[in-house]
Amino acid sequence: MARKSKAEKIVVPEKRSYNAVSIPTEIIINIVMILFCALCIVPFIFVIIISFTSEQSIAQIGYSFTPTSYSLDAYRYAFDMGAALWRSYFNSFFVTVVGTVLSVFVCALYSYALFRRDFKYRRFFTFFSFFTMLFGGGLVPTVVVCKQLLGLTDNYAAVIVPMLCNPFNFIVMRTFFQSSVPEELIEAAAIDGSGEYNTLFKIILPISKPGIATIALLNALAYWNEWYIPMLYIRENSYKPLQQLLMEIQRNVDYLAKNASAMGAEASKALTSTPTQSLRMALVVMVVIPIAFAYPFFQRYIIAGLTVGSVKG
Amino acid sequence: MRKKKLLSLALVAVMASSMLAACGGNDSSSTTTTTDNTSTTTDSTSTTDTTDASDASSDDTAAASTGLDISEPVTLKWYLHGSNVTDDSAVMEKVNEYLGEKLNVTLQPIWGTWGDFDEGATLAINGGDDIDIYFTCSWSADEYNQYAKKGAWVRLDDPDNNLIQQYGSDVWAVLPDVVKEGAVIEGSDGVGVYAIPGFKDFGTQNTWDVNVTLLKKYGYTVDDIKNTDYYGFGDIMATVKAGEEAETGETFYPLNVEGAVLERMVTNSIIVNGDSGTTNVLSYYIDPTDVSKNIGSKIENKFGTEEYKKFVEKTREYYNAGYIDPALGNANSANDTLVAAQNAAKYLIGTQSYALGYEVQTSAARGIEVQYVPCTPPYVDKTATQGAMMAISTASKNPERAMAFLNLLNTDPYLMTLLEYGVEGVHYNLNDDGLVVFTDERDNYSPWRNGMGNITLLPPQEGEGVDFFVDTFIPYYTSAKGIPAFGYAFDSTNVETEMAALANVAGQYALALSTGTVDPETALPEFLSALETAGIQTVVDEANAQLDAYFAAN
Repeated sequence: MARKSKAEKIVVPEKRSYNAVSIPTEIIINIVMILFCALCIVPFIFVIIISFTSEQSIAQIGYSFTPTSYSLDAYRYAFDMGAALWRSYFNSFFVTVVGTVLSVFVCALYSYALFRRDFKYRRFFTFFSFFTMLFGGGLVPTVVVCKQLLGLTDNYAAVIVPMLCNPFNFIVMRTFFQSSVPEELIEAAAIDGSGEYNTLFKIILPISKPGIATIALLNALAYWNEWYIPMLYIRENSYKPLQQLLMEIQRNVDYLAKNASAMGAEASKALTSTPTQSLRMALVVMVVIPIAFAYPFFQRYIIAGLTVGSVKG
Repeated sequence: MRKKKLLSLALVAVMASSMLAACGGNDSSSTTTTTDNTSTTTDSTSTTDTTDASDASSDDTAAASTGLDISEPVTLKWYLHGSNVTDDSAVMEKVNEYLGEKLNVTLQPIWGTWGDFDEGATLAINGGDDIDIYFTCSWSADEYNQYAKKGAWVRLDDPDNNLIQQYGSDVWAVLPDVVKEGAVIEGSDGVGVYAIPGFKDFGTQNTWDVNVTLLKKYGYTVDDIKNTDYYGFGDIMATVKAGEEAETGETFYPLNVEGAVLERMVTNSIIVNGDSGTTNVLSYYIDPTDVSKNIGSKIENKFGTEEYKKFVEKTREYYNAGYIDPALGNANSANDTLVAAQNAAKYLIGTQSYALGYEVQTSAARGIEVQYVPCTPPYVDKTATQGAMMAISTASKNPERAMAFLNLLNTDPYLMTLLEYGVEGVHYNLNDDGLVVFTDERDNYSPWRNGMGNITLLPPQEGEGVDFFVDTFIPYYTSAKGIPAFGYAFDSTNVETEMAALANVAGQYALALSTGTVDPETALPEFLSALETAGIQTVVDEANAQLDAYFAAN
């Protein structure tokens, strides 16, 4: 009885657990966190406002949270770009979906092999992938191999294949297997007559969802945001992803501004034909929104993934 | 536990080292392979060249310029700059039909844009891509001089295999002499021509960009600007500033300038070819009334002269009077501020490197009357003549056919117009005067007009006037005179360390001083002593030694 009343005394009246911080501290921490969140989200809100700002307002007072006039011109122009824009939207989606699925598949296969202690060449293949993190072939040889040997020009493979193997992800995934998959499970499966593929796809992968989701999110982000690789390999407009389109506009403007003194009036002429400031911001909004939806989708797995290994230490 | 710690330590080490490796390692490995690639490509082509040359020379005696063997069909890849092309199918169909008949050539253009050309072209050159013709120039990353030295371009007037003489005599006859002279440089096969220069706006002329509408509003005329100079603008600017601010209640900055250009305009100095690309530190001085007259100028530290001191003091005075926007003195905001003020027509006097016909365009765009008041007659320096050129790559398997194509392109109005403007009736229409009026389709096919070659072959556009090229363009540019040290280019190889240090110092002070945002009383002596420490004297001496050698040789 005594024990019970003691417990009630503490838990019920105050409704706070033992390890809770005092209320003022909690308030302060919350305020700090809210401010931090605001700092993270304000730039994006700013971009959205600029994308709705009229050109006159930008010319008069520059970027502002409270523009003198709003307009939908930037979005109207973007939608009028029509085929080219939607095509590159589709390309981005296609490359992201196919690329993520393939790269996660490759990653799972490779890291599972590295995880299995009974795999004879485990050390060699660990080193083999790890080595590429330390030393690269350099840009020109890489491009020459990809373009001339592998034929990765002007096709979807040119965007997908160069990013298929990521040694960092291999190591993360292998470590995940090591910390969350007991080896007894594989032995038990083998004793029950499960073949290697069956063990991997029916037993190991289903319990590794958090790890896979983490890798999938990383890869999806990488594919969605990639503009450099397409810039190297894609010249045909029909294969350009959205990020490349956006980067091209930005780089055109930067280049002309940088070379303005050498080009003289030519640069000013060319600059007038580049899209306006608000259009660029409108494109940023259009790039960010779809991928922002990917986060909630992966989030529950990622939280699980973060906490999975924590208790065992 | 312990193992895990070790593992995590190792992981951290790996990450850190991979980052370092990614930054540092790439450069060295790519450069070594670069040289490998270029040397192999030069080797392979030079062997084919000599065999071709002997073939050609035997043919040559029989048929001089028609000695080109066109029995084999050939595809030419052509890398262009500054294009905005999304659909070239209609144009290329016609072009290839025409070229097929004339030269048995299929043309495959690669439409490089402003943003991706530098990276794409240098990768293609270094990687030995099978591209036949590259755009090249004096200001971009596939720089003409640099790649000619590396052996990326075929020497076109090679005494053993003179492609220009054999297949390019027509284009060579059309080009002005000063442009041809400008193309002669030191390359991997000796001093010669490594690219066909374009016939474009190769003259340089710095002008005052005058908002005439605003000037007239306060009872002035353009002559009031013409009859004075920078030091005499004060009164006019004071009147206009006071009037505009009383009317709108907003701050008005009458002087809308690019710091570096303003400095050159006021001190009558020009850029020294080969000076630091980011912030120039050297100056060569010209006579503002007769640009080709040798006034015996030496190359000088542009910030150390009396003229510069006088200029920055006046500029500071203007700045303190509120004539210059402080944002123009900040490298990050200067360009945006400049362009915004121009577009909103919120300025009185600005600086502009002039191109013919520019007043028509800007007057329309800004909704005011704009006039450009020149400081000097147009002059020609080597940098400007190398503004847009076409080089044949040493990786090309058909340099003869490429030369023949460039020859035809620069002399055949039909081909040039087709490639530059698109198909008549689709991309443009001719109005009653025979002037070009573009259709909406032009948005899908807009190459850079100056980036292909001889633009004088084109029909003029609406607004330029019927005889624009004949009456205006050609006389204007062919009358432009070369500067006294025309062929001179500063080779900074011996003083590279100093140049890098100087560029840093100049980047810190020059713009702020030239726009008056800092007080020259304190900043100029500081700046000069910093330049002294960074070794300005060594660079100036080296440049002058080279200049003397140049004059002695010519």
